[in-house]
Amino acid sequence: MPFRFLVTFLLASGLTAPAHAQAQPKKAAIINPPPTAQDYAELGKLPDWSGVWNPNISDQDRQALTNPPPWNEKVAKEAEKMRAEEKAGRPKLIFYGCFPEAHPAWMLVTHNAMEILFTPGRVTMLGESDGNRLRRIYTDGRSHPDVPDPTFHGHSIGRWEGSTLVVDTVHIVPQAPLAISEAIGVPNDGDMHVSERIYLADKDVLHVDLEITAPKILTAPWKTTRIFFRQRARKYDIVEGVCQTGDYREALDENGHHTFVPIQRTEWGNILAPK
Amino acid sequence: MKRNRIFLGVLSGAVALGAASVFAHHSASMFDHAKTFTINGEVVELRWVNPHVSLSVKGAVKELPEDGTALWVMEMTSPGNLVRAGGWRRDAVKPGDQVEVLFSPLRDAERKGGALKKLTVAATGEVFTANIREQERPGLE
Repeated sequence: MPFRFLVTFLLASGLTAPAHAQAQPKKAAIINPPPTAQDYAELGKLPDWSGVWNPNISDQDRQALTNPPPWNEKVAKEAEKMRAEEKAGRPKLIFYGCFPEAHPAWMLVTHNAMEILFTPGRVTMLGESDGNRLRRIYTDGRSHPDVPDPTFHGHSIGRWEGSTLVVDTVHIVPQAPLAISEAIGVPNDGDMHVSERIYLADKDVLHVDLEITAPKILTAPWKTTRIFFRQRARKYDIVEGVCQTGDYREALDENGHHTFVPIQRTEWGNILAPK
Repeated sequence: MKRNRIFLGVLSGAVALGAASVFAHHSASMFDHAKTFTINGEVVELRWVNPHVSLSVKGAVKELPEDGTALWVMEMTSPGNLVRAGGWRRDAVKPGDQVEVLFSPLRDAERKGGALKKLTVAATGEVFTANIREQERPGLE
């Protein structure tokens, strides 16, 4: 019997499989159970976070000056250079490529509104202006996965302590910036861990207390708070936003179909204006 | 309509060169916020898109009389922020409308671009602004 036929025969017959592999029972899949009426009723006991939440940008500006992150020596120099470049009219484009602002930069420096949805076992944050601003915070008691699958917003698990949502987030991509403005921030470079306490500080004011550990760029955990204020007018409802549409314009293709064609921008992100 | 198509062609020729390049949210420090210029002219196009709305106006800038009539492109914040902070609507202006725009010009004086501060529609007197921090004032609703 030629060698390749022998291999085919052994594989097909299962004779090459180790004995322990054959004996190992199949691991049962973890099932997300269908929510019950009681699960939905329990949501009514949570604080009211409905409406549209806007960032207090003036406070972000103040925080950037009064409570900067404890950058390590190398990154501090980079941040100082970025500040000087922005002042000189050459702002570094931190949020390039229409990638998500990511966690925790979204919470820290966003200029856009968000809404927060409660469903059984989960809190979901949806951001305006970019369709890819989305945080899923699991409140069903699960743990972080053993094997990281890094994402822009990381893996978030949460629990309610009274009216405060306590969130723990890991497995954020190393490219996600830790930013204090749209022009000052550096990639976290890996191993970032974010703890949050989110609560109503007043009837229409939401506070996000953050503690950020980023050992590749910070010398110590950084504690800071960001403020969001609520609006309820229907005319201010969150609208769809697709970041890439800003880099294209509407046009007709050679067959007369509606399409988008790219426009050109400067290295700082603004439209390349005509001369 | 035909005239607007020609203007759009000019605008596309000016800004649609080169390969596709995607950007996103950016600082506005490339504009000289210490200066405020005024342009009176005709709306060519309002691009109501994320993350930055833009307005193209063909007209004369009061502070740059030597430039005569030219096409200028103004950038603003997002549609959602403009609605909340400046009272904007997608149909706030349309091509052909006569407007007055106050803006901060690009520091690069060779380019005709700016950050829009305030727009007044000549026919109606309607005013639209673009300061996102205006949303923070109490009682906005």
